[in-house]
Amino acid sequence: MKTNLRWLAAGASVLALALLIGGSALWAQETKQGNSGQSGGGQGQAQGSQGQAAGSATEQEGGQDEAEDKPYEYKKWLIKNLHNPCGLAVQPETGDVFIADSAASRVLRYGTVVNDKNTYEVTEVITGFPSDVYGKGPMYNVGPMGLLFLDKETLVVGGGGHKDGEELLRFYELPAAGGTKTADQMKFTMGPIGPGDKSETGEGNFYALAKAGDAIFVTCNGDDTKGWISRCTIQGGEPAEYGTFIATKEATQVDAPVGITTDKDGNLIVGQMGEITVPADSLLTCYNPETGEMIWNATTDRFDITAVAFNPKTGTLYCLDFGWMDESQGGLYRLDITDGDDGSKSVTSTKIETLDKPAAMAFGEDGTLFVVEFGTAKEGDLNHPGSLWRFDGLK
Amino acid sequence: MMIHQKMPQSVALAAGLMVLCLVAFLADQLSADPTHEGAWQSQDDFQVPAGLKPLRIPADNPMSVEKVELGKQLFFDPRLSRDDTVSCATCHDPNKGWSNGEAFATGVREQVGGRNSPTIINSAYQYFHFWDGRATGLEEQALGPIENPIEMDLTLKEAVSKINAIEGYRSQFNAVFGSEATSDTLAKAIAAFERTILSGDAPYDRFTAGDKSALSEAAQRGHEIFFNRARCSSCHVPPNFSDLGFHNIGIGIDAEKLDIGRQEHSKLLGDRGSFKTPTLREIQRTAPYMHDGSLATLADVVDFYVKGGNPNPQLDEEVFPLSLTDKEKADLVTFLEEAFASPNYPHVDPPVLPDWPSDSDGQSDGRNGEVMNTIRVEQR
Repeated sequence: MKTNLRWLAAGASVLALALLIGGSALWAQETKQGNSGQSGGGQGQAQGSQGQAAGSATEQEGGQDEAEDKPYEYKKWLIKNLHNPCGLAVQPETGDVFIADSAASRVLRYGTVVNDKNTYEVTEVITGFPSDVYGKGPMYNVGPMGLLFLDKETLVVGGGGHKDGEELLRFYELPAAGGTKTADQMKFTMGPIGPGDKSETGEGNFYALAKAGDAIFVTCNGDDTKGWISRCTIQGGEPAEYGTFIATKEATQVDAPVGITTDKDGNLIVGQMGEITVPADSLLTCYNPETGEMIWNATTDRFDITAVAFNPKTGTLYCLDFGWMDESQGGLYRLDITDGDDGSKSVTSTKIETLDKPAAMAFGEDGTLFVVEFGTAKEGDLNHPGSLWRFDGLK
Repeated sequence: MMIHQKMPQSVALAAGLMVLCLVAFLADQLSADPTHEGAWQSQDDFQVPAGLKPLRIPADNPMSVEKVELGKQLFFDPRLSRDDTVSCATCHDPNKGWSNGEAFATGVREQVGGRNSPTIINSAYQYFHFWDGRATGLEEQALGPIENPIEMDLTLKEAVSKINAIEGYRSQFNAVFGSEATSDTLAKAIAAFERTILSGDAPYDRFTAGDKSALSEAAQRGHEIFFNRARCSSCHVPPNFSDLGFHNIGIGIDAEKLDIGRQEHSKLLGDRGSFKTPTLREIQRTAPYMHDGSLATLADVVDFYVKGGNPNPQLDEEVFPLSLTDKEKADLVTFLEEAFASPNYPHVDPPVLPDWPSDSDGQSDGRNGEVMNTIRVEQR
């Protein structure tokens, strides 16, 4: 499909928008909504520090991949120069993409400008999150991590900037268009889950969030003997109780629940990342969200699953592999689950696209997939290597 | 105590019986062996001791009784070293938990290495081998010590040449692999044998399966501490009690010449001073402990962790000072001593080795029998 040419012929408007905050410039490409819900349009880019449009045909072509012989129609980058982006969520109704620009201690919104549905911009929505260091080398600065929309106006942010046992789950009423809140202006705060009988260290690094029934489930990094998924119950649209819920390591004997989503039956589907120094030890596991009981557990050939998500249009399951110990494993994968005769499940993965340390993804209601990757800094390049990608036409 | 002895008839008989038992066991286990397809094949019907997971066998090195027997002979054969004094079993002695009971490995010409000999028990479950994980897969690992100048000190060409000069080996390699030995088939045979050295069905496994009498009361208290307050299961994950990964706990971090461990191969700063998590199966047999053999007893190990290891920038986040009473520490040691000691310890007696090649006149060159003298065996 010559999607690119169609966009170019459409002569879509291009506006390069930039954001300069704290001395760091974001590079953003505009994406114009095309017919029948598909994205289209050309794109430009701007270097935010100058605030000048710098789009060019070369950059435009370079920003897209027509994806011949690939299981999607096209991909393109939407934002560059992100700072260890850890979380993504697509806002209901608007389709705006919210990004946990983690090392910059902020949440960004990628969406259309006011009164112009054809022009996209990147704006800060929440700033000033605490930050911490993740890893022993490489070491990554992290702040906000998992994102989830409780409803159109309520964004839930999983923290990563505090030490284990001090971390918070924050609920924000989104500011008015163009507005910005600071991290301490949350509507509700849940946690911390401090040291205690259930968690010797207390819990931290709230990687990813998923909603099932009347609760939000959060993958945590804290007590590595347990590998907790925590649960925040919701009553009357407000958070009620928050605490540890599923000890995934005890259930699976593998470390680190990270990716989490729900399947069509409302069960939790969890990507267990495993040891970052061990290849192909990630698991895919299904839990009952009401009881916490494991329904099934399957090994995979993935190294470090960081996100799982179903395409809402097709029901196909995808995952991201960070590829900690082997960068060549980093990418977007389709996961196919097969039922065994004995009730067991087996999972096979198919690489859809190579990505550089992808950390989070989210589908839009129309099946558009958004992915953020940490990227790898190039020597001498002062730009941050993180980026937001868009995939259209995934099966 | 390590002694050098000539294999007595009784030992030879026992070894022969052991071989027969192993052959019968494997013949039974492998009778329903599925075809080996794909990069790795899970042989669900290759029954392993209770409590362990199914083995994953490389598709290009399927198990067979004959291959395991050949691998066993090679494992115990000191002729795979330059001066015919050091075999794999020298440092991986079944009488010492398949380690060597010493802080470091000792190779040819009494050269002493810089790291403790890791047990090969349940090494079939490891992705990485050696303390720094520089080998992936047992086949790759098997050749490392042969080539190491301070261990067995042979080039692979020399090793293969020595093996092929022995008719007893040549005929076995032809029968198992369809050709004389090569470095590839040498590694495959040794690896196949190592995959049979499995320990499970231990008191821990029986306790977990519901037999609450399998562990003493002290060990049960230690069990609770192990999986909770002492945080041991952060890395020592059941069923093999290893997460297969690498961690910096601070051992040797203050040494005059730092052994950087995994970082040597991964090149990642985060791996500086990190070493592979060893299994705890049969841990009571494998003292001294840690990659440098610096801790003599399990009590020393527990004390080390209770004090929070040795702080350094890459210290694993799961290692920090613990608050355990002396009684709790004793209970934890009791758990470690009891829980992983299988009543079916995978002991293997040294096999009868193929004779040296005869001289042109058909006479032995006089070295037959001496081979057995140089195998270090300790009476059980």
